[in-house]
Amino acid sequence: MAVPEPSSFLPLPQVQFHVLVALTDGERHGYSIMQSVESSSDGIVRMGPATLYGTLKRLVDHGLAEELAHRPVPDDDQRRRYYRLTGLGQRVCAAEANRLSDLVRIARANLRPGMA
Amino acid sequence: MSASHPVYRSLVRLYPRDFRQRYGEDLVQHFADLITDRGARAAWTRTSIDLIVTMPRYRLEGIMTEQQTVTTVHLTITLLTAAGVLSFMTDLYAGQGLVGLVLLLAAVVLAMTQRSTLARAIRTPDTNRRRRRLATAAVLALIFAASYIAFVNLIGDSWTLRETLLTAIGTSAMIAAAIYLIAGLLTPKTPRRPDQAALIDH
Repeated sequence: MAVPEPSSFLPLPQVQFHVLVALTDGERHGYSIMQSVESSSDGIVRMGPATLYGTLKRLVDHGLAEELAHRPVPDDDQRRRYYRLTGLGQRVCAAEANRLSDLVRIARANLRPGMA
Repeated sequence: MSASHPVYRSLVRLYPRDFRQRYGEDLVQHFADLITDRGARAAWTRTSIDLIVTMPRYRLEGIMTEQQTVTTVHLTITLLTAAGVLSFMTDLYAGQGLVGLVLLLAAVVLAMTQRSTLARAIRTPDTNRRRRRLATAAVLALIFAASYIAFVNLIGDSWTLRETLLTAIGTSAMIAAAIYLIAGLLTPKTPRRPDQAALIDH
């Protein structure tokens, strides 16, 4: 099966991008992803459980993230499921970051000449 | 264990079955972690909003998947056809022949609409085209059978508009059923995906 182009996923919904960014830091379980998203967004993005797992479901179904077969932290709660980025997920995350970066550069240039 | 957990666990049942089977335990675990970290009040505030926002959306996504939509439309067409035939075959109310015709026409229009571009755009993609075509052929064959039965029961000495309409509906349905049957049989079988999740994004 052909691997989809990262650009075909863009623009990423904000919540999906936040979760992907949280997973760039390494393997995480659901609650840890939520904490990371909150921390990286200065508390602006606060996800409830169903929003988070609905997002993870989409990312896994689209092949951007995957559930780990093994447990990276052996003494952690056995019920926790860990997730990580796939190769496609990394490329999509990078493409979205570049897209937003370009957008920010344009916005800065237009709003405050000299800042870009 | 907090008394909130069983309450939240029962609320999780409101989500579509496939979602709660896959993530139900994770949701409850997550809720328990929220209570431990931030207290019951903060956990409930966040979770209540989350529930109100996500539950209808996930339910809608479940309804809008290809298989669910096709099943619902086929069931509606079948019921309309059956109601149309019944209204022809029984003689309880004056002018019900017209009602029967309207019901049969509605079934045909619905069957045609179901094949439309708009319907395909709303639904999520389905790889099982063979099954879909065969199901459509079955529904069209049912419409043909209903029209034929109604025609046989109604035909009299004079040829009226009613007979003309029934003939038109029956012939169209028969031809379309044959086309869909052949197309369905010629379409290669595709394996069912394990997860036909909706693609509606956040």
